[in-house]
Amino acid sequence: MSRDLNKELSLLFEGHADQLKEQWISEMKKLGFLEQVSDDEIEKQFTNLYNIAVSTFKTGKYGDAEKYARDIAQKAVLQHMAVDQIIGGMLKLRDVYQCFIFEKFKDDKRLCDLISACATVINKIVSIKALAFVEESEKEILQQQKEAMLALSIPVLQIRDEMLILPLIGIIDSARSQQIVEELLNKIAEYQASIIIIDLTGVPIIDSLVANHIIKTVQAAKMLGAETIITGISPPNAQTLVNIGVDISTLITKNNLRTGLKLADEMLQK
Amino acid sequence: MDIPILKIENFLVVTIQAEMSDDEILKLQKDILSRIKEVSASGLIIDITALDVVDSFMGRTLSNIANTADLLGAKTVVVGIRPAVALTLVELGIRIKWNLNTALNLEKGIDILKRRIEM
Amino acid sequence: MSETEKRISIKSSADIITARGVGREMAKQLGFNIVDQTKITTAISELTRNIVTYTGKGKVIIKKIHSDVDKKDGMAIICTDKGPGIESIELVLKAGYSTSNSLGLGLSGAKMLMDDFDIKSKPGEGTRVTIKKWLR
Repeated sequence: MSRDLNKELSLLFEGHADQLKEQWISEMKKLGFLEQVSDDEIEKQFTNLYNIAVSTFKTGKYGDAEKYARDIAQKAVLQHMAVDQIIGGMLKLRDVYQCFIFEKFKDDKRLCDLISACATVINKIVSIKALAFVEESEKEILQQQKEAMLALSIPVLQIRDEMLILPLIGIIDSARSQQIVEELLNKIAEYQASIIIIDLTGVPIIDSLVANHIIKTVQAAKMLGAETIITGISPPNAQTLVNIGVDISTLITKNNLRTGLKLADEMLQK
Repeated sequence: MDIPILKIENFLVVTIQAEMSDDEILKLQKDILSRIKEVSASGLIIDITALDVVDSFMGRTLSNIANTADLLGAKTVVVGIRPAVALTLVELGIRIKWNLNTALNLEKGIDILKRRIEM
Repeated sequence: MSETEKRISIKSSADIITARGVGREMAKQLGFNIVDQTKITTAISELTRNIVTYTGKGKVIIKKIHSDVDKKDGMAIICTDKGPGIESIELVLKAGYSTSNSLGLGLSGAKMLMDDFDIKSKPGEGTRVTIKKWLR
């Protein structure tokens, strides 16, 4: 029963597409939703939305609407476009459709059924879109939180004039080690530090990747004009470094933070 | 573009203010070396704070200047390498040579020179 | 030509600076951080200097790219010349890596600074190097 109604509606909306679309766009403009959007862009977007609505009525399948919702949600979040522009647009389209149905079927006994069928489909499209927006902005928030966590987990501490300590804790992966290197170098320039202590006591595993990043850090810090002392390499980690052929002789190392600090102080005195 | 080579005490100070073409870099190298000889400078400071790109050519030229200056009796300190530039040079595989010292800024550069020359 | 693609012909060492400037500007616009901007600019410098040094003449295309597979944006730099070409690519990449005094550092350096590296060369016909960096 509702399948037939929907099919009938789809033919109706398709047949009067130009008229209805024009009415829809002009009402949206009246509401001030479409300022700062070019006419070409409006025509393109609204034709697209309109066709999706019609095809949803025709097929009863929401796949197109979902795909569109996801695409537009990604773009909208990226451009910080107003959610109400798109959700509001669909609601307005519902109004336009329903007015049209009312005009055409006001003496028909199926009027109520048609209006409710129309509302059901469009409401579903609206909720799909709203959901896509929520998911997308959650994703963005998650990404921001991840970045914030990453920044927090790189504590570069200034403990003396010209001296920084970087106590590393936890597993270090490629993305994190790259960020650590960049953060440390920026801090060296910012604080004009001449001695850096990298404490690895809290790093359970040092593999060749981490080792390479540490060596790169030491070399880059040297170019800026800062010496680096590495402290707290555990015996198993030291063994690994030797086994994978890292040349530790190029590094200044001390077995713990305390002796590292003492050496750093001596170096600063010079 | 002529880059001024200043003399402070017994040191020469060169501040590179903008990106340079290869020809300009090579001319600067020549100018610096002849000036070291002329004034018998014991130290040379090259400030590259303004450079946001140092490629292998520039890196090699700086290293060449330092090596040659060393032969002429002047120690070289390069100051003001930016963090991003340092990281890029390391990735490029350019290592700091023993005769090329670096410092964060001009003041520290002069400190290093004084210490090295006293030694 | 679109905003997201730039062509620069490389004839002299002054063009190296032009290409670097264009590359840095695009990297900045695409949202690369300062370290990646510097790496990209330096890689452009290495490749375009190779053109000037070995063949005297060529061109570089700098453009925005997108990967549908990984859903990410990036930047590609394509350097082409009609120079003598390279006999053994492996050797050039390796030699440059080990001796920092050889000019070969250009190719291997560009490779190390970027995410993707591709080189096609035929002796007598020329060389085409494509490098890419993806936004993290």
